[in-house]
Amino acid sequence: MNRWWVRPLVRTVAAVFLPVAVPLLLTLLLWALPGDPASIVCPPEACTGTEELAKRWNLDQGPMHYFASWVSSALSGDLGNSWRMQTGTPVRELVNESIPNTLKLIGLALVPILLGTVLAAVDVVNRKLDPILHLLGLFPAVILAVMAAAWKVLTYSEFGGETAALLLGAAVLGLADGAFSGAVTGTRSVASAERRQRYTGVGVLRGETELANILPNITPALAGQLRARTLHLFSGAVVVEVVLKIDGLGDLLWQAALLQDFGLVLPVATVFAVFSAILLLGQALVEGVVAVWIRWSPPGSTATVGGAS
Amino acid sequence: MVSSWLYRDCGRCLLTRRWPAVVVSGLLFSVLLVLAVMAPEFLSEPNLGLTEHGPGAVPPFGADDRGRPLWEFAAQGARVVALPSVVAGVLVGLFAAVGGLVRSMELRWADSLIQAFGEVVGALPRMVVVLIVALLLPRDWRGLFPLAVVWALLAAPGAMDEAAAVAERLGGARFVEALRAHGYSMWRIFVVHVVAFNLRPVIVRQAAEVTMQVVFLEISLSYLATANGDPSFTHADSVRSWADILHLGYRALAFDAPFMHALFLGLGLVALVAGTTIGISRAARAR
Repeated sequence: MNRWWVRPLVRTVAAVFLPVAVPLLLTLLLWALPGDPASIVCPPEACTGTEELAKRWNLDQGPMHYFASWVSSALSGDLGNSWRMQTGTPVRELVNESIPNTLKLIGLALVPILLGTVLAAVDVVNRKLDPILHLLGLFPAVILAVMAAAWKVLTYSEFGGETAALLLGAAVLGLADGAFSGAVTGTRSVASAERRQRYTGVGVLRGETELANILPNITPALAGQLRARTLHLFSGAVVVEVVLKIDGLGDLLWQAALLQDFGLVLPVATVFAVFSAILLLGQALVEGVVAVWIRWSPPGSTATVGGAS
Repeated sequence: MVSSWLYRDCGRCLLTRRWPAVVVSGLLFSVLLVLAVMAPEFLSEPNLGLTEHGPGAVPPFGADDRGRPLWEFAAQGARVVALPSVVAGVLVGLFAAVGGLVRSMELRWADSLIQAFGEVVGALPRMVVVLIVALLLPRDWRGLFPLAVVWALLAAPGAMDEAAAVAERLGGARFVEALRAHGYSMWRIFVVHVVAFNLRPVIVRQAAEVTMQVVFLEISLSYLATANGDPSFTHADSVRSWADILHLGYRALAFDAPFMHALFLGLGLVALVAGTTIGISRAARAR
């Protein structure tokens, strides 16, 4: 794609549609599966009065009616009520209680990832440490979370409650499944490829720093990597929150999925879609700003070369 | 002298040659398959009178809190993950091959389609999608297989992207044209030279990694269910998975329960899968 604005534009469009597309797709899927939706959510062997339930859950008038009424309520701030997990409780309350914990967890987990990215970009991580990093990255989140949960139980008295769970969870997320090692190696591979380019060498000969030269070119790629890693953190947060008993969105989604509470799964999935959309917008913004910056750069480099010579 | 030979020559041989990786990964994978094949349909009857649960009392891996041998847990767990994880790996490998071939043929419309597919599929956290699929699946369809296929679909864009990048570095359509000028058949160009010779390391590594990820996904989903005493999304209630072994290990760590042998077994099984993945990836790497 030669036009610089195509990718940011595609991401922006995707970001706008994602929070609508996810609940629509979920609703259509529920209707596309064999059997009527109420029976899928609550099978006849577990629930009686399926028709009554379908009416109560607004499942009796087809997918588009359900989707339209859910979206119109959601736009006015009403995400509906929990069907089975905490029957009748407004989902908004449950979601509002969960979001801060998940955001804290993800924010803390991003610290080692950002640290790894910065250290690798300035090329201060010794390559001899790579085997250790790779080994550390092999551990799946569930294993580290189990260890962390056990440690939390053992030290509960002196290292208290929710803060400990959040810190341990963030450490697990930041290290497991190659999060930290991937940040280091991924950034280094992008940066070292750019360092080998001829323009970087010319820039250094002009007395400029390597980083200042490669930064505009590696920033979009790094923004893409960071978005992928943040999404990965959201994915791992489900496991970590359940194992470490953190009342976050992931834990809420797990409980809702376990109890087949579609009334809760739909809004929680939409909230995840909103976060994904924000990340997409962020990436589009970075790509756009960098592209504009590069194109608007004055021909100062020529002047510098002339001045230096 | 001998130590210097071991260090210099044998060490170099292990690092540079592919056969040690082939042998090691083959052996590890065989262990997994043998466990899966040997898995009993039902666990042994509980032996509540058992006072010692370690490997010494119930060889080779010890027993759980109800006196049932842990090797049966390990074998049943291997059976749960073996087929779905391998199928997911093969699927991702096929997707990666398609991604590389499309780039080497320079089919721009297909390339754009793949990129759009990647943007959409990669926009949501994988575990969230898997949980939603698990929720929506009818009870009769529940199991690891559909979840593994979904995971493979979610992993496919990354694999296709990487394979496409390799094909592009290779020269894309110019590479194909050069081989065509030599009079090679289409089969030989695309299947032998592009896929088997050049894309092989990426395809095999991606496939092996997704196989491992599916095993870890099963362990995660089963552990979350086991820890809360709920039924698992991935297997029948009568079957045990590796997550049950790890949960015993957790009790040993946190509450000093006498099941440290379970923790070692659980970690050993995880290492077995990770070792197989690393071995296969190294075995398939470019010369």
